[in-house]
Amino acid sequence: MSKDNASEAPDSPRAGELNRRDLLVKAGAVGVGAVAAGSLAGGAKAATRRSRATPIKRGGRLIWALESDPVHVAPFGQILTAGHWGKELTYDSLVEWDRNLNVKPALAASFKIVSKTEILWTLKKGIKFHNGKEVTAEDVVYSVGKMLNPPLPGSISTVAQVPAIAGADAVSKYVVRLRLKQPDARVIGFFAWGRYAPIVPAGFYESGINVARNAIGTGPYRMTGFNPNDRVELVANQSYWKSGQPYMDAITLKTLTDEQARLAALRAGSIDGGTFSVDVARSLANVSDLVVLKGPNAAFRELQMTLKPGDSKPWKDQRVRLAVNHAINRADIIQRIYSGEAEYSGHVPPGYGPWPLSDADLKNKYLKFDLVKAKKLMADAGLAKGFSVTMTTFASGDYPQVSAVVQSQLKRINIDVNIVAQEAGTFAANNGAGRFDWDLTGRGMRGDVDGYVAEFHPAAPVFKIWYPEYKNVKAWRGIGNGRIQLDPAKRLPIYQAAQRELLLNPVQIPLVAIKKYQVVRKRVQGMYVAFSDFNTGLRTVWLNG
Amino acid sequence: MGGYILKRTLFAIPTLIGVTIGIFLMVRLLPGDIIDILFGGDLSASEEVKDRAREQLGLNGSYPEQYWRWISGVVQGDFGFSLRNTEPVSAVILDALPITLELMILALLIAVLVGVPLGVLSAVKRDSAHDYAARVGGLVGVSIPSFWLATLFLLFTSRALGWVPPLNYISPLDDPIGNLSQFILPSLSISVFTMAIVMRMVRATMLEVLGQDYVRTARAKGVDRRTVISKHALRNALIPVITIVGFEIGILIGGAAIVEIIFGLPGIGYVLLQAIFGRDYPVIQAATLLIAFIFIFANLLVDVLYGVVDPRISQE
Repeated sequence: MSKDNASEAPDSPRAGELNRRDLLVKAGAVGVGAVAAGSLAGGAKAATRRSRATPIKRGGRLIWALESDPVHVAPFGQILTAGHWGKELTYDSLVEWDRNLNVKPALAASFKIVSKTEILWTLKKGIKFHNGKEVTAEDVVYSVGKMLNPPLPGSISTVAQVPAIAGADAVSKYVVRLRLKQPDARVIGFFAWGRYAPIVPAGFYESGINVARNAIGTGPYRMTGFNPNDRVELVANQSYWKSGQPYMDAITLKTLTDEQARLAALRAGSIDGGTFSVDVARSLANVSDLVVLKGPNAAFRELQMTLKPGDSKPWKDQRVRLAVNHAINRADIIQRIYSGEAEYSGHVPPGYGPWPLSDADLKNKYLKFDLVKAKKLMADAGLAKGFSVTMTTFASGDYPQVSAVVQSQLKRINIDVNIVAQEAGTFAANNGAGRFDWDLTGRGMRGDVDGYVAEFHPAAPVFKIWYPEYKNVKAWRGIGNGRIQLDPAKRLPIYQAAQRELLLNPVQIPLVAIKKYQVVRKRVQGMYVAFSDFNTGLRTVWLNG
Repeated sequence: MGGYILKRTLFAIPTLIGVTIGIFLMVRLLPGDIIDILFGGDLSASEEVKDRAREQLGLNGSYPEQYWRWISGVVQGDFGFSLRNTEPVSAVILDALPITLELMILALLIAVLVGVPLGVLSAVKRDSAHDYAARVGGLVGVSIPSFWLATLFLLFTSRALGWVPPLNYISPLDDPIGNLSQFILPSLSISVFTMAIVMRMVRATMLEVLGQDYVRTARAKGVDRRTVISKHALRNALIPVITIVGFEIGILIGGAAIVEIIFGLPGIGYVLLQAIFGRDYPVIQAATLLIAFIFIFANLLVDVLYGVVDPRISQE
C-alpha cells in the first residue's frame, strides 16, 4: 500500500488551532505588521479542516527507527539533522509550521511587529514545561540568549543560522520584546522551524541537569532517557498544551543506522516505522501489513562550480555555464536514477510553500534540455571541442549515480567530467574551503526562503570562498531587498525574480528534487513524510491496535 | 612464567605509545575535522565563527600541544570528552565495552567449539564425505564476509520466522536467555570466518601430527584410538591453533564493528565508526587505544597458553 503526501488531504487542525487563513485573520486583529509577519514562511496550501474516517484510539507505544544517531539532545547548538530528530517531540517554539509550512501559533498566542527592529510576542497563559513550571517571558528571554550563544555540548556553529536578533526582554510575565540588529524577515521562519529555537525553562543549563542526555520542554512527549548510539525514550506529556494530544502513551526512537536492519526489524514487527531508500520502500509496497509513505523533501541535488580570481577556467564564461545547464537532461536523471519519483528543482525546491518557480517554467525554459542550444553556446564561447573538469561528490547515497548520468550527458557537448567520490567529512571539508572545481552536492531545509539564495550574495561569507568572481547584480538586489522586506506579498515576486536571474546566469545548477520514503506498519495512523526532513508527523500519530 | 609475563607487558608499553602517536596523527591527517562536519550544511558561517567553535571544542593549538594535553590526561585515566556530545570518553567506552567483549567471547567460543571438532573429524576421516563437506564448508566460511552473513541472518529470520534479535541491549546479568537471543546471530556472523580458519588449521596440523612417530608408537602400544587423538595428537596440534586464535582477535574486532551496526548493538566498533564519521578525535583515539590494548593482551594470553598446552615452552 502506498500513499503520496500530495494525494492526501492535509491533517486536520485541532480545535483551537489555526490554519494559515485563520492566522492571518487573527493576526489582523493585532495590527498590519502581524499580518505581514504571520505568513513570512509562506504556505504551500492553506490547511483545510477534514474529518477523520477512523476515530482516534489512544494509548500504546510506538517504536520508530532513526537512521542516524542524535548524538546529543541539548536544545541549542545542535546542527545535525539527526540531533533534532532526538528532541523534536520534546520541544516547542513560539510559533510552528503545520505540515504544509503554514505558520501557526505555538507557545505565543500572537506577535506584533512594532517596528522594523522590534517584535512583541504575547505568550499563551498556563502552558507548562515538563517539570511543571509555567512558561513565562523570562524563559523566552533565557532561551533567546542561549540561541545566540549556545553552550556545550552544542556548538556556536548554529549562530550563523540565527537571524539578526540582538536580544530579548521581558515586558511583562507573558509579553516578550524581541530586538533585531536590523530588519530581518527570517525571524518568523526561524522560530516556526524550531530547529534552533526551542524554548526551555530559565536556568536549564545551570540546574545541574546533563543537557546532553535530558530535555525539559513543552512538547507532546516528555523525554525519560537518551542513550547515545542506542535510543531515545519518550512518554506522553499529560499536561500538553494542545488539549487531547498526544495520542500515544510512549514513543521509542531506536537508532538503527543500517537500512537492512531497519527493514528486518520492520518485517519482524520490532519497529513501527522508519525512513527507507526508494528501492527498499518499493520492495515493501505489496506487503500487506505495511504502508509506504512518500513526499517531497527539502533536499535537492545540484551542480556547484567555483569562480575564483586568477583562474582561467572555461566555465568563467557565462555561456559555458548555461550550456552545461541546458545539456543536462533532468527527465533522464529522474527516470534512470529515481524511477520517475523526483521533480525538476530550481534554487528553491518544489514544496517549499509558494516560493519556488513553477514546474512548467523550469521544464520549458530555465532548465530546458536543449542540446542544440547547449552546443551553440559552447561554440560561441570558443569551446566547441570542450574541456576536462573534475567533479567531486559524496561516495554514498544517490550522488555517485547522478554524477555518472551527468557525466555521460555532458560528453555530448565534449565536456569530459572526471568524477571523484569522497567520504562525507572529506567532501564537507573540501566544499567548505572551496577546494573543488565542480561539486555535485545537495541542499537541505531552510527556515526562510532567504536561506536558499543568500549564498549567491557577496555579503555571504561563503561567496568569497566559492565564487568571488561571480556577478549577478539583479539577483543580488533581489536577495538584499528580500531579506529586509517584511511583507510576504511583496517578498514573493522579489525572490521569484531573483531565482530567475540565478538560472539565467547560473553558478550553481539545480538538478532534481528527490522524494523521501517512510514505511510504517498499518496500525500507525496519521503519519506523513515531512518536507522539512524531520519526523513532525510523530507528534500526532496514533495507533490503531 | 611471572618474569616472562612482566617482560612481555613492558614490551607492550612502547607499542601502545606508538599506537597513540600513530592514531593521533592519522585522524588529524584525514581531510576535514569536526568543525567541517558541524558546518557541513551551513553556508553562511564565517571563518571567525568557525575559529570560535574550534576554540570552544579545544581544537586550538599545535598538534604537539594537543597530543600532550591528551596523553597527559590518558596516563591519569582521563580520556577527555567527546567533541560531539561532551560525554566523558571513559563513560562512552565503558558503556560500549561489555557489548563488544561479549560479542567477541561468544564468537570465539563458537569458532573454537565448532571449528576444533570439525577439524579433528576432517583429519581423522581424511578424504571421506565428512572431510569433503568440512573442507568445502571451510572454504565457504573464509570467503563469506561477516557483514553479508549478518544481513542474511537478519533478513532470513525476519522473513521466515518473523523474528529479529531484541533491539534494546539486555544485560546477561538481568536476563541471560534474552541476552543470548540478542547476541547469538551477531556472534555467529563474525565467528564463521574464524571457525573456518580454526577448522582448516586443526585439520592440517592434526594430519601432520597423526603421521608422527610418537602417535604411531602410541597406537602400536595399543592405546585407545580416542585417547591417541585427544591426548597425544590434539594437544600438540593445538599450539599453532592458539596462535591463530590470538591473531583472529583483531579480525573479530574488525568484523564486530560492522556487525554491531547491522544489529544495532552500540559496542566499541559501532562507537568507533560513528566517531570516525563525526571526526570525534578523543573517542577515536580512546577506542583505538583500547582495541590495540585488547589485541596486545590477547597475544600475551596466547603466549601464556603456549606454556599451559606445552610445558616445554615455559621451561625454555
